[in-house]
Amino acid sequence: MNKLSAALPIARIVLRILIVLNWLGGAAILALLVAMPNEQWIMAAFKLSPSPDADRLIMGLRAVAALGLATIPLNYVVLKRLLAIVETVREGDPFVAANASRLQTIAWSLLALQLFSLVIGAIGKAVSTPAHPVHLDAGFSINGWLAVLLTFLLARVFAEGTLMREDLKGTV
Amino acid sequence: MAITIKLDDLLHDRRMTLTELADQVEMTLANLSILKTGKARAIRFSTLNAICGALSCQPGDILRFEPGEERAIKQ
Repeated sequence: MNKLSAALPIARIVLRILIVLNWLGGAAILALLVAMPNEQWIMAAFKLSPSPDADRLIMGLRAVAALGLATIPLNYVVLKRLLAIVETVREGDPFVAANASRLQTIAWSLLALQLFSLVIGAIGKAVSTPAHPVHLDAGFSINGWLAVLLTFLLARVFAEGTLMREDLKGTV
Repeated sequence: MAITIKLDDLLHDRRMTLTELADQVEMTLANLSILKTGKARAIRFSTLNAICGALSCQPGDILRFEPGEERAIKQ
């Protein structure tokens, strides 16, 4: 019980920190995108010499950065909804329709994030060359897709549970 | 709802208050009040059993089906 009660404040703090880190990550990617038009700078950073492969690599990195930027609002949606769910647990009333809806939104966001990850992974593979290998932490992840499935299921369980609870509320 | 609760009449006949009934059936006064005022959406068999035991009556004495009520709600 004590462990559970400690988990809530920890979850709140961690989620708040992650929200800030997510925005900072977004700002860093945006800065990178702004710096990227400067091809000389990128060439120097990656020790590239002008070639079709180098152009492809720069294009790929720009695309990955742009897609990475697009994932920031999705991460925010997931973290913010999770924080709201944690708040309802703290208030002692988590089995409400709003949480079922939040979980549904989280599930769709996770699905979108997995799709982004697939595209980013594919771009990484496409632009990677033996001379300049690109290792991105993206692509197909069985755990990621399992998380999507579980979250959709959990949203459904919450929706059903909320309805049952509503029925029980009026039962004497 | 066409089902109405006749708990008031029964309590009056037995010269019993809702608080006394609540004590006898070991239910909260708030829950019994919800039942008495017809705000309950469902009633457990165990609740019905306890009330019937305390008031020495049949479930039909507590619950009544009044079709007119249903029509009134639909209109």
